[in-house]
Amino acid sequence: MFYYYLGLALRSLKRNLVLTVLMIAAIGVGIGASMTMLTMFRAMDHDPIPQKSRQLFTVQVDNWGPKAKGKIFNDKENLQTQLSYIDALGLMNAHAAHRQSAMYVTGAALTPSNPDLLPFQVQIRATYADFFGMFGTPFLMGAPWTAADDAAHADVVVLSRELNDKIFGGANSVGRTVNLDNHEYRVAGIMDRWEPIPKFYDLNNDTFGKSEDVFLPFTRAIDGQMVTWGNNNCSGAALPGSGFEGRLRSDCIWLQFWAELPTAADVERYRFFVNNYAADQQRSGRFTWPPHTKIRDVREWLVHEHAVSDEVRILVMVSFSFLLVCLLNAMGLMLAKIMGRAGDIGVRRALGASRRAIFGQCLIEAGVIGFAGGLLGLLLTALGLMGLRALLSEQVSRVTHFSATDIAIGVTLAVVATTLAGLYPTWRAAQVQPAWQLKAQ
Amino acid sequence: MEIRPILSAMSRNKVGAILIAVQIAITLAILCNALFIIEQRVASSKRPSGADEANVFVIGNQWVGNPPDLSARLQGDLAALRALPGVVDAYASNSFPLNDGGSTTGVSLNPDQETPTALAALYFADEHTLEGLGLKLIAGRNFTSGEIADKAGYTDFIQPPGLIITRVLAEKLFPNGNAVGQSIYDEARRQKSPIIGVIDRMQVPWVQGWGSNFFDNSVLEPFHLVVPRYYYIVRAKPGQLVPLMQAAQKKLFDVSRSRVIRKTETLVSARDEAYKDDRGLVVILTVVCVALLAVTAFGIVGLTSYWVAQRRRHIGIRRALGATRNAVIQYFQTENLLIAGAGAAIGVVLAVALNLWMVTAFEMQRLRTGYALIGAGAVLLLGQAAVLWPALRAASIPPALATRAV
Amino acid sequence: MLKMTHLSKAYRTEVVETFALRDFSIHVREGEFVAVTGPSGSGKTTFLSIAGLLEEFSGGEYQLDGANVRGLNDNQRSRLRNEKIGFIFQAFNLIPDLNVQDNVDVPLRYRGFNAAERRRRIQESLGRVGLSARARHYPAELSGGQQQRVAIARALAGSPRLLLADEPTGNLDTQMARGVLDLLEELHRDGATIVMVTHDPELAVRAQREVHIVDGQVVDLAPPPRLVTAANAHP
Repeated sequence: MFYYYLGLALRSLKRNLVLTVLMIAAIGVGIGASMTMLTMFRAMDHDPIPQKSRQLFTVQVDNWGPKAKGKIFNDKENLQTQLSYIDALGLMNAHAAHRQSAMYVTGAALTPSNPDLLPFQVQIRATYADFFGMFGTPFLMGAPWTAADDAAHADVVVLSRELNDKIFGGANSVGRTVNLDNHEYRVAGIMDRWEPIPKFYDLNNDTFGKSEDVFLPFTRAIDGQMVTWGNNNCSGAALPGSGFEGRLRSDCIWLQFWAELPTAADVERYRFFVNNYAADQQRSGRFTWPPHTKIRDVREWLVHEHAVSDEVRILVMVSFSFLLVCLLNAMGLMLAKIMGRAGDIGVRRALGASRRAIFGQCLIEAGVIGFAGGLLGLLLTALGLMGLRALLSEQVSRVTHFSATDIAIGVTLAVVATTLAGLYPTWRAAQVQPAWQLKAQ
Repeated sequence: MEIRPILSAMSRNKVGAILIAVQIAITLAILCNALFIIEQRVASSKRPSGADEANVFVIGNQWVGNPPDLSARLQGDLAALRALPGVVDAYASNSFPLNDGGSTTGVSLNPDQETPTALAALYFADEHTLEGLGLKLIAGRNFTSGEIADKAGYTDFIQPPGLIITRVLAEKLFPNGNAVGQSIYDEARRQKSPIIGVIDRMQVPWVQGWGSNFFDNSVLEPFHLVVPRYYYIVRAKPGQLVPLMQAAQKKLFDVSRSRVIRKTETLVSARDEAYKDDRGLVVILTVVCVALLAVTAFGIVGLTSYWVAQRRRHIGIRRALGATRNAVIQYFQTENLLIAGAGAAIGVVLAVALNLWMVTAFEMQRLRTGYALIGAGAVLLLGQAAVLWPALRAASIPPALATRAV
Repeated sequence: MLKMTHLSKAYRTEVVETFALRDFSIHVREGEFVAVTGPSGSGKTTFLSIAGLLEEFSGGEYQLDGANVRGLNDNQRSRLRNEKIGFIFQAFNLIPDLNVQDNVDVPLRYRGFNAAERRRRIQESLGRVGLSARARHYPAELSGGQQQRVAIARALAGSPRLLLADEPTGNLDTQMARGVLDLLEELHRDGATIVMVTHDPELAVRAQREVHIVDGQVVDLAPPPRLVTAANAHP
């Protein structure tokens, strides 16, 4: 019966070609618009590290106190969104988590060994050896540096695959050296492509940016007085002294801190530990306010930091309202079309078609329109995403790719939405009385 | 045109009429808010930076390592740049308007104020800055070369001998208009510096989000920032910008190759880049609005055409009974006006409600009522335009139809 | 075959209740060709709608092919309609989207026959009405008489126990009307049970028996004039 209905649907759609084209176009445009925005939204709302996002926690410690209320980089709970060096180091040295790492973004000029080539800029993440194990970063060659390297403030680096391709032509460079700001570092490993989107571990600096070119021991970066290249805020506290030393002793916030806490008990224990840490700071007189701390896992952090911008949320909303208008439109046209055929339906009923048979026939017709609209919608989505890439900044366009899941969502959305829109007209069709046609016209 | 018979005919096509009205309502709600956002974004992207944007370019310079003679190198580069033919002036700084990255400072009138009186962008400048960026001094004086000191980093505490601030900041701090000669306090150092000059306008480096809260508050401090990373800002004589950009870059590498030139860009392209997402949003919303209007219009055409087809016989009878073509057209236009009017009324309420929700959810501004009314007028016109074609078709139904059986 | 006893059908509006049929009794035996006549508004169409299971009735009994149809639900009535009844409408009611053979196919589809069976029945019933050559034409390409023949073929295709015809010649000119009537008579001779509603007394005489309805009641079950007279009426 399905194929019979399908044949009938195609015939009927062909008969009212203009109406059919209008319906398919309306649905296609609606699906195209909403899928384009949804794809962008899903990419931005994407869990960058799904296997561990509930086990990785970032720490907030209020080191500015109640008087800093409303400052930039203070959230609604009056907690700063980054840490000071004192607190990052304090948490680090306690080693209270399974794995943990303080980190910040910096950079340097890399001088290639070939003297004909000009030096170029690289972004560096200063971090601890735990970074790699904690985040499960893939390695192409070599391995992360070790905790011993951290302790020794060793001159070692991990390079991104891209950088290794650029300066070593993709060769195994483990053991060779790179020159960063006139200082030689030994290559410990080459990380394979690893680009969490959004870059959850540092949302204050380039949320959808690429991961860094070079990773280097935090202890070594501090020794080298490598200043942060990311956001730094000192507005909550006066500086105790000049220069890099002064900043290390200050309450300026410029570092991130992540801890891996595999079990719920670990999380509870760590929450307690962080609070105790703040209490210690109060006891020592550094904080003149009671402990005010928070730990958040990756997902909570992404929401808290508004990884998805308001603009994107507005666009998603607008596009789905648009889809709604398109569906109402298709529904009106379908209603017109089906009621225009009420005569035929009456005849079919008289010839023995049950309500269910009429319902099925009309629903399949709606489904066919939905399917065609969905295909058109996918085409428009692909075009829309191309448009977005051309229109929006590199940051945003990097995340707008189209996966098989997105395609499946698009087709499903189209068919389900159209069928829903077709439901009322179809129901009306099934109500057509078989007797009607007997009455003289 | 009598309305009662139209209403009674409409009540037989209730669902169709409701569908069109709801479509129009949602269309209007989206349209008003989208137009409002578009207007705001377009206006914000046109805000003047205060600089002579057409003739200014910047060079992002980074020295390899941390050479001890940074100050001399900076002076040497500046001298070389200023000596290039076609250069009006050049200076070095931590940032510039439209850069989307820089420093802020809180300025206060008293040393022990908990909350600063105003937040401002902090730019390091020398006596060439006003000329180098094309800023307009409206009160007081420029820095002198003797006042410019080296600052070894953002956290290097040295007291500026004088400050130049923007007009908007001056008015906020000193509403009586006597800013020059007064002293203000800086949030980090809590030391006072006198205001020596006021410039008409200089935007903060951030164009989005929080930067908009203190958009025209800038403070110029007479320092050369001697750190490895900073910008050279160069102003070219009219028409010489493009050749000069290449010449300047070449000149700098001639002076020393031990550097990275991160980027060389004009302020025009910096503006493009800074407002790219805004422009993208504007384009997307415009496309959506046009598509929305088209879909709604075609929906009206489709459904009205069906109604015309359905009522062919009735129309024929009316024509036979003496209705003119115009009367038939008017019938459908009035019908559409009633439906679209109902939709627009709901739409205006919906538009305001949507806006109020966005005000709380997205910190948007309040919608001006004018927008809702203009939008309502627009969808009513759209309805009239869309209904015209089916109405004309209805008017062309011959009265003879009435005499035919079926 | 068709037996209605004391059947009534009331239409209720907010104001009044009017009876379209009242204490209506009729019995059509297998193989009969009955004409139902009566003035406009007498209840002919209501009778046909109820007989064809298109409408429900308010009171009384209705037995179709030996089965009581009172209280059947919409699905059961649809199936009975499909299996036992063939309709011939005044306005033919062919589906314009479908060609001749697909129109005949419609009730067979709902019957659930397999493809071979459907093909056989379509060929047979089109052959019966002499339109095998037009199987792939669309209704719009046929004359009114041909369209009505297709409608008859569609009614016959499912081998119904009962043919219900509603003014089958009402939309046809005299010559075409005669052709259609000849066909009905032929079907009757072959054993079909036919109930034909008409307001035209000249048509009614071609039936075996005439039932006259006035104000929703059967008023006269007198035998119709003899066929000879009818033949004279239509030279």
